[in-house]
Amino acid sequence: MAFDTFVFILVSGIVLGGLYALMAVGLAVVWTTLDVFNFAHGAFVALGAYVAWQVTQFAPGPQGFVFATLAATIFMFVVGFLLHFCLIKPFERSPNIVLLAVITTLAASSIMESSIQLIWGPREKQIEAAVSGRFEFFGAGIGANDLLALVVALAALAGLALFLRRTSTGRAMRAAAQNREAAELMGFNVAILFAVALGIAAATAALAGAFIGSLRFINPTFGADPLMKALVVVIFGGVANFTSPIYAAFILGIIESFSIYYLGLYWAPAVLFALMIAVLIVKPEGLFGNRQKTL
Amino acid sequence: MSAALLQLSGLSGGYPPVSVFRNVNLTITGTEAIGLFGPNGHGKTTLLKTVAGLLDPWQGEILFAGQRLNSEGSMRARISRHLNYDLFRRRKIRARDVVRAGLIYVMQGNLLFPEMTVGEVLDIAQRAASGRQGVGEMRDTVHDLFPRLRERWQSKIRFLSGGERQMVSIAVGLLALPRLLILDEPTLGLSPKLRLELAESIARIRDTKVPLLVVDQNVEFLTDLVDRLYLFDHGTVTAEIDKAHMPSHDEILAMMFGSGQ
Repeated sequence: MAFDTFVFILVSGIVLGGLYALMAVGLAVVWTTLDVFNFAHGAFVALGAYVAWQVTQFAPGPQGFVFATLAATIFMFVVGFLLHFCLIKPFERSPNIVLLAVITTLAASSIMESSIQLIWGPREKQIEAAVSGRFEFFGAGIGANDLLALVVALAALAGLALFLRRTSTGRAMRAAAQNREAAELMGFNVAILFAVALGIAAATAALAGAFIGSLRFINPTFGADPLMKALVVVIFGGVANFTSPIYAAFILGIIESFSIYYLGLYWAPAVLFALMIAVLIVKPEGLFGNRQKTL
Repeated sequence: MSAALLQLSGLSGGYPPVSVFRNVNLTITGTEAIGLFGPNGHGKTTLLKTVAGLLDPWQGEILFAGQRLNSEGSMRARISRHLNYDLFRRRKIRARDVVRAGLIYVMQGNLLFPEMTVGEVLDIAQRAASGRQGVGEMRDTVHDLFPRLRERWQSKIRFLSGGERQMVSIAVGLLALPRLLILDEPTLGLSPKLRLELAESIARIRDTKVPLLVVDQNVEFLTDLVDRLYLFDHGTVTAEIDKAHMPSHDEILAMMFGSGQ
C-alpha cells in the first residue's frame, strides 16, 4: 500500500472516530447518569441533522452552516430535556425501569423518525458544508470539511469535559450519577439534573448529525447506523471514565476505515461486532472500563 | 416552653409492603443532642431515611421548626393497583424540601461520590448552600474540625480510608448549614483509635451548638455525647432516658433484652 493511501485511510478513520466519539459520549452520559440505555439516540442524530438542514434552507453559506449547527444543538437540548419527563422519569421507581426505558426510547425513536418522514419526506438530503476543498497532507488529499468535523467534535468533547469537571452544575450532575440518594440529601434537584444529562446527550447527537449530514446524504432513518456504532463503541470501550468511550471511538473509527479498504464496505460492521464480542469475552467491562461505571 | 425543632408523631413507614417502623413519637427541642440506640435491623435507618425524605412515610406527621414536611393523608389509601401510581402521586415528602428546611441527614456508611475528589465534593456542598448566611464561617469550622481533609483535597473519595470518608460526609452535612444534623452510625466500621478521634470531632460539633441526633451501636460513645437517649426496639421508640439517669452499657442491654442471667 502506498504511503499516501495509508495516510488517507488513517485520517478518514480519525474523522470517523471523532464523530463516533461525539455520539458515544452522549450515550455514555445517559447510561451513567440515568442508568438506562437510550435507543432514541439515533433518532436524536437524525432529527438534529434535519433541523440543521431546514435552517440552512433559510440561511445558505458558511455562516448558515454555523447558525444551523447551533440552532440544531440548542433545539435538541430542549427536546432531550423534555423527553426525560416523558420517557424515563415516570418509571424511575419501577423495578423494570431498564426494560421500560428500552421500550419507551424505542417508541420515541420510531415516533421521531416517522415525524421526520412526515415533515421532510423520504428523499435524501445533504447539508451544505461550511468549508469545501481539499488540501494535501503527506500526499493524501484531505477534505477540509472532514477536518472541520474532527476539530469541532474534539472541541465539543473538551467543552463537555470542562462542563462536567469545572462547573458546579456539571459537578452536581456527576454527583447525582454516582450516588443519587446522597445527591438528593444535599438538596439537588435530581430530576432536573437527569433531564440536563439527556439534553446534553441529544445536543451532542445533533452536533454529530449536522456534520454527518454535511459529509454524506441523510434520510429519516439514517440514525440507526450511527446508534449501532456508538453502542459498539460504548460496549467496546467501557464507561468507567468520561474519556474511555472517546479512545474506543478513535480505535474503532481507524479499524473501520482500514477494514473498508481491505475487506470492503459490507464486511466492516461485521469486523466491528466481532471485535466487540472478543472484547466482551476477554474483558466484560470494556477495554478501558472497570467494574464501576461513573461519569 | 420553646417550640419543638423536630416532632414526629405517630410516624409509620417501611418498604411497601413491608412495614418497618410503627407509631414513632419523638420530640427534639433546639438545644440538645439526642441519641438513638437500638439493635441492628430494627428500622432506625429506615426511620431516618423517611424523615430525610428519601422514603415516603405511610402515616403520621413530621414537623420541623413548625413546618410540616410530609403531605397529609396515609399512603395506603392512595395506592392504586391499576394505574402507574408514581405518575399521579404527589410525593408525600421530598428530600429537597427537607434539606431546604435545614434538616440534614448524614447517611450510614455512605460512599458518597466515589469518583469525585474531596475538593469537588466540598465545593458543590458549599455552593448548594451559597447565598445563605454563615457559609464562610461554617467552611472555616469544617477546616478546623477536619484538618486532614485539607491534606487529601485532591484525592478521589474511593481512595480515602473509612474514617476520612466519614469526615467528608459529616463535612458535607455541616456545609449545608443544618438546623438539625442527623448522624447515622458515624463510627460504623472504624478502628477503635479512629472511633475515638471521630467521637472527639462530633463532641466539638455539639459544642458549636449544632443540634445533633446521633445513632450508634456504641452506648458509651452515646452516653458521653448526648443529653437525652431514645431506645429503639422492634420498630418503635420504647424508652426515653435523661442525662441524669444515663445507664451503663449493661443496664441498657438488660433493659432492651432482659437481664439474661
